[in-house]
Amino acid sequence: MTLAVSEGAECRVGSPEAGCITCGDVAVELDVLLVDEGRGLALCRDADDRRESVEIALVGDVSSGDRLLVHAGTAIVHLGPGAKAA
Amino acid sequence: MKYVDEFRDPELGAALSGEILSLVEPGRHYKLMEVCGGHTHSIYKYGVDDLLPENVELVHGPGCPVCVIPMGRVDDGLAIARRENVIFTCFGDMMRVPGSEQTFLEAKAEGADIRMVYSPLDALRLAKANPEKDVVFFAIGFETTAPSTALTLKRAKLEGIENFLCVCNHVTIVPPLRALLESPDLRLDGFIGPGHVSTIVGVRPFEFIPKDYGRPLVTSGFEPLDILQGIQMILAQIAAGKAELENQYARVVPYEGNVAALRVMSEVFELRPHFEWRGLGFISQSGLRLSDAYADFDAELKYETPGVRVADPKACQCGEVLKGVIKPWECKVFGTACTPEHAIGTCMVSPEGACAAYYQYGRFAREREVV
Repeated sequence: MTLAVSEGAECRVGSPEAGCITCGDVAVELDVLLVDEGRGLALCRDADDRRESVEIALVGDVSSGDRLLVHAGTAIVHLGPGAKAA
Repeated sequence: MKYVDEFRDPELGAALSGEILSLVEPGRHYKLMEVCGGHTHSIYKYGVDDLLPENVELVHGPGCPVCVIPMGRVDDGLAIARRENVIFTCFGDMMRVPGSEQTFLEAKAEGADIRMVYSPLDALRLAKANPEKDVVFFAIGFETTAPSTALTLKRAKLEGIENFLCVCNHVTIVPPLRALLESPDLRLDGFIGPGHVSTIVGVRPFEFIPKDYGRPLVTSGFEPLDILQGIQMILAQIAAGKAELENQYARVVPYEGNVAALRVMSEVFELRPHFEWRGLGFISQSGLRLSDAYADFDAELKYETPGVRVADPKACQCGEVLKGVIKPWECKVFGTACTPEHAIGTCMVSPEGACAAYYQYGRFAREREVV
């Protein structure tokens, strides 16, 4: 599915107690809901259904249902459909 | 929780702990460095060190980007942030890092337009929404974060957004490791390699550690069993008289890294001749700046900044903590004058900082009782 994804979602993902998700060497796993191929963005959600728009330029083809490892709003690893890093 | 519990299983942890015990020689002291601040955080959150023999010591490395930023760079950022026409943006942890006079949070309280963002893309969005202002992003982080900044700058260029600027403080992980290995202060027996930095750079850049310095490095994940297994793999190498590069986190980290990320970084950034690291001093070719092709986005070229090296407060021993020479609780001001609420040193600011991790999980009380 390809839909327009708004940049800069207000709702943010990742648990603060897990440390700084943006500036440390920490990344979070998110599931892709929608892909905006034109702008290279995907709307993603975490296990608690918190949502964020994510840059996907670095991880090749992305489809809804895929799982990504995301750091500072950018997907850095494609973990596969429903895959899990831990 | 599925896929998480497996990596936190107490029985498997106890089994790994037993294997580790069987690998160490009584009477020999093993000093292993976890490079990454994320590992430091996990070690104290889950009590991984409690599962290790007394003669296996974990030393906290320089892998927390907030912790290694020197005061002078904060002052440079503040000089830009106080300008009338600027919306200054940075990650949350950066807001509380002390400059020589104040933090970004204090400058914000005095009226500077400083905003916390979660990603560089948020800063770009602000630039689009505020075309009459310059929106400056204070970029920090290792190779995990640098591609995000690079992609955002590429996007800004492609979309012709001229009021988006960047103060680039991105750093690279290999030069400080080499500096630590050359340091006479510190004798290390092995390294727990950084997990998510390695998703970008791969494992290959760390080959010099076993090859040139004869020390094993095992790239590890962040769950407690990942870290325990990483330690077990290092100690198994030492017991067998080997020094090799291994990848415990192979389910996420490819050997060659993320080629697309490395490509975009090389397009947008170039190496600075030298860059100052808190506690480690100036290290050659360890920092990134914007390449000539992106000079129009470089806030340091547009705005004058003090550019002065500022010495750390005398009471602060972050430098020794970052080099692994002392433990956080051995610092004179740890938990007294320096707390997460009123940090003197950067290591107490970020959750990935060794001091903050010790403090948050109550480790200091136990350690001091031992003393």
